[in-house]
Amino acid sequence: MREAFRLLFGGDAETWGIVTRSLGFSLFSTIFSTLPGIAVGMALASRDFPGRRALAAVVNALTALPTVVIGLLVYSLISRSGPFGSLGFLYVPAGVVAGQSVLAFPIVASLTYAGLSKLDPRFAETLVTLGAGPYARMLATLREAKVVLVAAIVSAFGRVTGEVGVCMMLGGNIRFSTRTMTTAIALDAGKGEFERAISLGLVLLIIALAVNLALHAMTPREA
Amino acid sequence: MYAVEGLEIRYGKGLAFAASELHIREGECVALLGPNGSGKTTLLKALNGLLRPSAGRLLFRGSPAALSSELRQRSVYLHQMPYILAGTVSYNVCFGSKSRSVARDVAERRAAEAMALLGLSGFERRRHRALSGGEAQRVALARALASGADVLLLDEPTASADSASRDLILGGLERMVREGATIVFSTHDQAIASALAGRVLTLERGEITEDRSTSR
Repeated sequence: MREAFRLLFGGDAETWGIVTRSLGFSLFSTIFSTLPGIAVGMALASRDFPGRRALAAVVNALTALPTVVIGLLVYSLISRSGPFGSLGFLYVPAGVVAGQSVLAFPIVASLTYAGLSKLDPRFAETLVTLGAGPYARMLATLREAKVVLVAAIVSAFGRVTGEVGVCMMLGGNIRFSTRTMTTAIALDAGKGEFERAISLGLVLLIIALAVNLALHAMTPREA
Repeated sequence: MYAVEGLEIRYGKGLAFAASELHIREGECVALLGPNGSGKTTLLKALNGLLRPSAGRLLFRGSPAALSSELRQRSVYLHQMPYILAGTVSYNVCFGSKSRSVARDVAERRAAEAMALLGLSGFERRRHRALSGGEAQRVALARALASGADVLLLDEPTASADSASRDLILGGLERMVREGATIVFSTHDQAIASALAGRVLTLERGEITEDRSTSR
């Protein structure tokens, strides 16, 4: 335990390299999933089109998909024989970010959809009756539901930071390149070297607490 | 201005409102009286184009109300319990002007006038959560007036107002009537209906049972 704290607070370069790399992957994948996720969530909540319910069910189901299945799916797309093999994404940071973006997208979309579906029906009528066009309605909805949207983004960030399947399958856990906190923990624990695993576990614990505290703080209190 | 022919509005299979014929002239102030569930809100929403006819026709200046861009520009429907957008009073009051692309200086002047008329001067920076029921109703009416609408469709505009707010709201509506706005409002208060409206429609079970003029 003492060694774990030394690695963490003594400024061990490799440990902090893993932490910052992990957070970087999570940040970029969350950013890449935010726009399409919010767009799909808003479309599901505000438009009635054929297949809307089916699409909502698919998006919700994707949130529960095991990360190794998402890893496998993206692997089949970006491996050399896959349709996007020429991009050279396999076992490089871009591949991890791509996989985590696929993981984060349905989380953002489904939480956005769920949150917007709970908006008071008078809200949409008020926008229409005040003459708001589609663009003004979209901006007003984003403003009205900003807590919901930020909560969806924070949840997605928390989820991708703590996942291991996508990082392992698409990144290959390569030292100084694609090794993340979770894959490093899996590797070190497997070797019986628990010091770094514990130090990284503490960081993940702190991130999980921070994410939950942020979500709790954003939840509107009853009057 | 409005012409109704063989109108039926249903929620699912249930008939909420039906009228074989109804005309509302430009500049007219019409009160809707009737018990809860008599179809007042349904009629007001249909007049605003928020509800489409299940059968028959509801025309605004010759065009179907639900499709009329002129109606969208000129009319505002006010809920019985108005929805105040998340933000300041100023954001709310200016919202209609902004979404109707009114020039900024005109929008600001209209907002200031509407807020002064409804006793809201000094409320500009107050947040939506900090408003009482009566204040919210006045903010919603100020928002409607500042949007430039001259067709006001108001669902019990004094429902959650205290006596001070009620007087301010009625004062604002009287001024709009004098300025030639077309107003259709629902109320349970006979005195308000007679004082403000030139015509009173009584509704029961989704039908107009009486259409009379007042002495106003």
